[in-house]
Amino acid sequence: MRKFTHINAQTIEDAVSALRRYGDRAGIIAGGTDILGRMKDEILPKYPEALVNLKTIAGLDFLREEAGVLRIGALTRLQDLGHEPLIREKYRALAQAASKTASPHIREMGTLGGNLCQDIRCWYYRNPNNRFPCLRKGGGRCYAIEGDNRYHSIMGGSVEGGCYAVHPSDTAPALVALNAGVITSKRLMNVEDLFQVGVAKTTALDADEIITEIQAPLPAAGSRSAFLKFAIRKSIDFPIVNCAAMLTISSGKVSSARICLNAIAVKPYRARKAEEAILNKRINDKIAEAAGRAALSDAKPMERNGYMVGIARTLVKRAILACAGTD
Amino acid sequence: MPKKDTPTAALTRYSCPYCLNTFDDYEAIKSHVLTGHTRESLPEPEGTIHVTINGQSHKLRVESDWSLHYLLHDKLGLTGTKLMCDRGACGSCTVIVNGRPILSCMTLAVECSGKQIETVEGIADSNHPLIEEYVKHHCMQCGYCTPGFVVTAKALLDRNLHPTEQEIREALGGNLCRCGTYPQHPKAILEAARLLREARSAEES
Repeated sequence: MRKFTHINAQTIEDAVSALRRYGDRAGIIAGGTDILGRMKDEILPKYPEALVNLKTIAGLDFLREEAGVLRIGALTRLQDLGHEPLIREKYRALAQAASKTASPHIREMGTLGGNLCQDIRCWYYRNPNNRFPCLRKGGGRCYAIEGDNRYHSIMGGSVEGGCYAVHPSDTAPALVALNAGVITSKRLMNVEDLFQVGVAKTTALDADEIITEIQAPLPAAGSRSAFLKFAIRKSIDFPIVNCAAMLTISSGKVSSARICLNAIAVKPYRARKAEEAILNKRINDKIAEAAGRAALSDAKPMERNGYMVGIARTLVKRAILACAGTD
Repeated sequence: MPKKDTPTAALTRYSCPYCLNTFDDYEAIKSHVLTGHTRESLPEPEGTIHVTINGQSHKLRVESDWSLHYLLHDKLGLTGTKLMCDRGACGSCTVIVNGRPILSCMTLAVECSGKQIETVEGIADSNHPLIEEYVKHHCMQCGYCTPGFVVTAKALLDRNLHPTEQEIREALGGNLCRCGTYPQHPKAILEAARLLREARSAEES
């Protein structure tokens, strides 16, 4: 790695003022498992002049339920989330997603806030020494359109002919299914609004904005959630497809549903058509399968990633069945 | 010292050596330090960290771009901690920091101030039964990944003295071994856990 200025922020204000001072020339480090890899490989044309360390901010690593809201500090480690009985019991999709992210060591280091803000894994983007100056680095084109796109978006690019790299987070779809909100140093937003495709970034956060807390409302009575992931090497790999769902079932019928897929599109993909397909219905194998088909009805796979459509359909079906308790 | 009306004045910021505050001119920072920090001893130079490594405390000067692995292995000579992928994908460089098994290649040394660090050398020096069991069960062929496995297993046993085979397999999920010694590790760790439990109950009785 090259030299950079390292700043230990003591408070959220410290971090924000340091970020403001450096503008887009600073990077943010929490767990470090994503940004240090990016810096070691020098994948971006610009190397950060400074890293602002958030781990030194006290009081951002917490987990509690308050007035019907689950509050999770942005620095909470994924390992702690996956093992917390409260989350395993009531917010199952999040516990499952957190414990299926990466390897145990990375989960001991990686934070929930960092998992939401992580960068894309496209192999053209990640190629060392900025070998492919692609759209996501402010360059001219997306190399995946004509290249090897077996792990790229099946839901189209960020715009027509735009970036086709998928969002790799496991916890993001779980938080979308749980209808979570994100509190930053500036504002409060729904987790669905957090993701945005930009040059060298995956979120709508400003350069001087950091996530401080994630909040999820207590699921309504009769709700169950589930998270499923497909990857070659169980958890240690990034997902090829993952899916989270939360269903509320009253008197045998689905009264509300939230289903979210990830790693198939440039942002976490809310499968609204699948939600509509099961609303006010009794869940059985057939209905779940139809929902899977509906979820992927808009898919437009590229040359080499058609196989992801079938996997995504099956994950939607299985996630619905897992929530209905009929799996 | 540039005057306020020169073009460089807008770019010049004086940052307090004690805290992160910055000031536009010299007089402002002088009065800030005199009113706020006169009772404190001189701040330590940038990059100074205080760490406890295998029970011994150190005060070290590190560069911002040093990984914890580089500090331990190249600077302190604790060569038991191995580097393989250098990208957080293989587990060879695992060390225990404040009870958590973490990857020293993906940890900045400068961020370890105030932390308790335990390496495979510390585990060996404490005569932990894992070492003997690893030899007995022949958990290595080339042996390069072994320290990472031992450290990960130690962290598991610190938290859980009654691990099941499944729990052991899950805890070791981030350690890769190209020689394929995987089936041997749970055997050694289960045996080490049994020995530790025996030693503990002998202590208690």
